[in-house]
Amino acid sequence: MKKMLSFLMILLVLISFGFAGGQQETADEMAGPVEIDFWTTQTQSDRLATIQVLVDTFQIMNPNVTINVIPVDENDMPTQLNTAAAAGNMPAMIECAAENAVAFGSEGLLDAEGVTELINSIGKDKYYAGTLKLNESSTPGLYYATPYHGWVQGIWYRADWFEAAGLNPPNTWENILKAAKYFYEPSNNQYGILVGTKAETYAEQCFTMFAMSNGAELFDKDGNLIFNSPEMKEAVEIYAELAKYNPPGPQTWRARDYYLQGKMAMFFYSTYIMDDLALAEAAAGSLTSENFADLAGASFDPELVKNTRMASTITNDYDAGYGVVVSLALPDQGDAAKTAAAQSFMRYLYTPNAYITWLHMAPGGMNPVLKEIAVNERFQNDPKGIFSNYGADKMAEIIAGLDNIETFSIVEGNRIAAASTIYSKQIIPQMIYKITQENMDVDRAMAWAEAEMNKQK
Amino acid sequence: MSTFLPASSLTREKREVMLGWGLVFPAVFIILALILYPIVYNIYLSFFDVNLHRGNTFVGLENHRTVVTDPTFWRSLGTTVVYVVFTTVGTTLVGLVVALVMNQKFPLRGLVRSLVLFPYVAPVISVVFAWQFIFDPVNGIVMDVLVERLGILNTRVNLIGSPSSAVWIAIVFSIWKNFPFTYLMLLSRLQGIDKNLYEAAEVDGASGWEKFRYVTFPEIYFVTSSIILLRVIWNFNKFDEIYLLTTNVRVLSVYTYFKAFVGTMEMGQGSALALIQFILLIGFILFYVKKVLKW
Repeated sequence: MKKMLSFLMILLVLISFGFAGGQQETADEMAGPVEIDFWTTQTQSDRLATIQVLVDTFQIMNPNVTINVIPVDENDMPTQLNTAAAAGNMPAMIECAAENAVAFGSEGLLDAEGVTELINSIGKDKYYAGTLKLNESSTPGLYYATPYHGWVQGIWYRADWFEAAGLNPPNTWENILKAAKYFYEPSNNQYGILVGTKAETYAEQCFTMFAMSNGAELFDKDGNLIFNSPEMKEAVEIYAELAKYNPPGPQTWRARDYYLQGKMAMFFYSTYIMDDLALAEAAAGSLTSENFADLAGASFDPELVKNTRMASTITNDYDAGYGVVVSLALPDQGDAAKTAAAQSFMRYLYTPNAYITWLHMAPGGMNPVLKEIAVNERFQNDPKGIFSNYGADKMAEIIAGLDNIETFSIVEGNRIAAASTIYSKQIIPQMIYKITQENMDVDRAMAWAEAEMNKQK
Repeated sequence: MSTFLPASSLTREKREVMLGWGLVFPAVFIILALILYPIVYNIYLSFFDVNLHRGNTFVGLENHRTVVTDPTFWRSLGTTVVYVVFTTVGTTLVGLVVALVMNQKFPLRGLVRSLVLFPYVAPVISVVFAWQFIFDPVNGIVMDVLVERLGILNTRVNLIGSPSSAVWIAIVFSIWKNFPFTYLMLLSRLQGIDKNLYEAAEVDGASGWEKFRYVTFPEIYFVTSSIILLRVIWNFNKFDEIYLLTTNVRVLSVYTYFKAFVGTMEMGQGSALALIQFILLIGFILFYVKKVLKW
C-alpha cells in the first residue's frame, strides 16, 4: 500500500507539473474563426467604448474575426507583454508608445516584417517621416511598429497670472524657474509648477525636454553610454530645483487637476489637456467660487481655457520639443491566422472614417500621422470644437511638431535600441524619485542610474 | 470502475482505500498543481539567472547572496518588521477593546456590532481610493483640518506619498481595515465565557481589572494568540493593501514584486527573496506555535 501511495504522489506531482507547465495552442484552426486580443493603452471607459464601436464595425465586415479589446496601463505595458511572452499567450496586436514598441522589437517580441508590409501597403510617403523614423529598427526600412497617433508636450501656463506679474512665458530655464518661485505660495495652497517626481513615465517625459535643451544625451551616435555628463547633471539639478515648487510629495500627471482648480501656475502636459480644458469649460458654470466659498486656495477661473497658453519648446543651449508617437504593433505570437486578422484590423483602422473616429476620442491629444488625414475636413471639424477654439494654424503647428520629436533613442539618425529599453525600464524616473523624494545626492543618484543603464546593454 | 478493476479480486478494505483516494484526488490534485508546484518551481527558479526570452542559467546561490548583501533588502525587512509589529499590536488591542465594549449591553447594540464590521467587509480598492483622497495634500480633508482649521501643521505635507510617513499611514490603514476580524473572533469567545466565573470573582471581591486579568484574559488567551499568529502571517505577506495605497512602502512583498516584475525584472532574485521570506515566516511560525500556543 505504501508503495502505491508514494507512486500515486509522484504521479500527481508529475501530472501537476505538466498541467501547470502551459501548452501552446496548435495552429490547426487557420481556416476557422479567429479570436484575437488587442491591448490598448487607452484605459478610460469612454475611449474604450469608442474603440469597441470600431471593433464591432470591423467584426460585422469580417464575421470570422473576433477581437477582444483589453486595456493596459501604459506603465504596466512592458511588464505585461514580457510576462505574456514568457507564458506564451501574447496578444495579436498592441497599441503602445513607439519607444516601448522599439524596446519590445529589439527584444524580439514583435513581428517586424508583418508591420513593415502593412506600412508599405499604405505607402511610406503618406506618413510624416519623423513618426515613421521613431519606429524604425536598426535595419533601415524595417519597422517594429506603425505609428498611429501622437501628441506634443509643452508647459501649459496661466497667461493671465504671468501677465499680471510681468513675467515672460516659460520657454527658457531661467523664465521657468523664476515663475515657479514666484507663484509658489504653499501657505495659500498654490503651487508654482508640476514636474513628475513619482517613478513613472511622466517624470521622464518632463525631464527629457530639460536634458535635450542642454544638449545632454544618453548615448553618443555609436551607442556608447554618455549619461554621466556635466550637461546631464545640470539638467538633473534644474529639474530637482523645480521639483521644490511642486505640490507636496511625489507627483505625477494626475496633479494637473490642481491646475484645473486654479491652484497651480504651470504644468507639463501633452496636447491631451485641450480635451480636458474643453470639459472644464463645459463644467465651468458649476465650478465658480461662489459655490465653493470654503475651499482654500485660488478660486476657479471660468475663463481658464482662454487664459491657458502653451510653451511648446524649452530653450537653454538648444531648443527642445518633446512628444510621443503611439504605435500599433504585431506581437510575434506564432499564429499566422491571428497575425493576418490583426493586420486586416490595423488596415481598417487607417481608413479615413475609422481613423477620424479614433482621433476624435481626444481632439488635440490624438493627432494623425498620415498627411491626408491632417487636412481632412471632417477631422478638422471635431465634435468638441477644439480646432475652432485654438485655430487651424495652432493645430497645424502641433501636428507638424510630431514630425520633429526628439528622443534619447535616435542620435544623429542612428537608432539606439538600449535607450528604448532604458525608457521602458523607467530608470530615469526612479533616479528622479530618489533625488526629489528620498533626498539622495545628485551624483550618487546619477551613478546609480548609470550602473542600471549599463546592465541594459 | 468494475470494468477494469474486477471487484471480486479486491478485499473490502482495499476497495474502501480506493474509494478514499478517489474522493480526495481532486482536492489533492488542485493543491499540488496550484500551491505545491508554484512553491517548488519558485525554489528552483531562485537558483537561476532568469531570462524570459533567452532561457535560464544556473547560478547556484548567487541570487541569494546578491539579495542579502543588498542594503535595500535589509531596509525592506526592517519596514516589514515595523509594519507587522505595529499592525498586529494595533489590530489586537483595538479589536480587544471594541470586543469588550460590544460585550456590554446598550441600546442598538446589534446595529453597532454589524456596523463595526464595515471596514473589514468593504472592498479594499474602494476604501483605498477614499483614503488617498482624504490624504491628498492639496484637496484632502486631513490637510485641510490639520493646516487650515487647527493649525497643528504649518505646511501641507503629502503623508501618503512621502517615503518617511507613508509606512505609518499604511499601518493605520491596516489597523482600521483589519481590527473587525479580531473583534469578531474575540467577541464570540467572550460571549462563551461562563457568567458564573464573574459572579464568583465578584463574591471574592475582585475589581474590574482583576476580573479581566484573572477571568477574561485566561479565557481568551488561546483565541487571541491564534489571531495574532494569523495576523502576523497575513501581514508579513501583505501586498494588496500596501501596494494599492502607496507604492513607496517597500515591505518585503512589495520589494519582491518590484524586483521581479518592474524595471530590470530580476526574476531569479525575486524568487530568492520570496524563498527567504518564506523561510523567515516558517521559522517564526514554528517558534510561536511552540512557545506561545504551547503545542
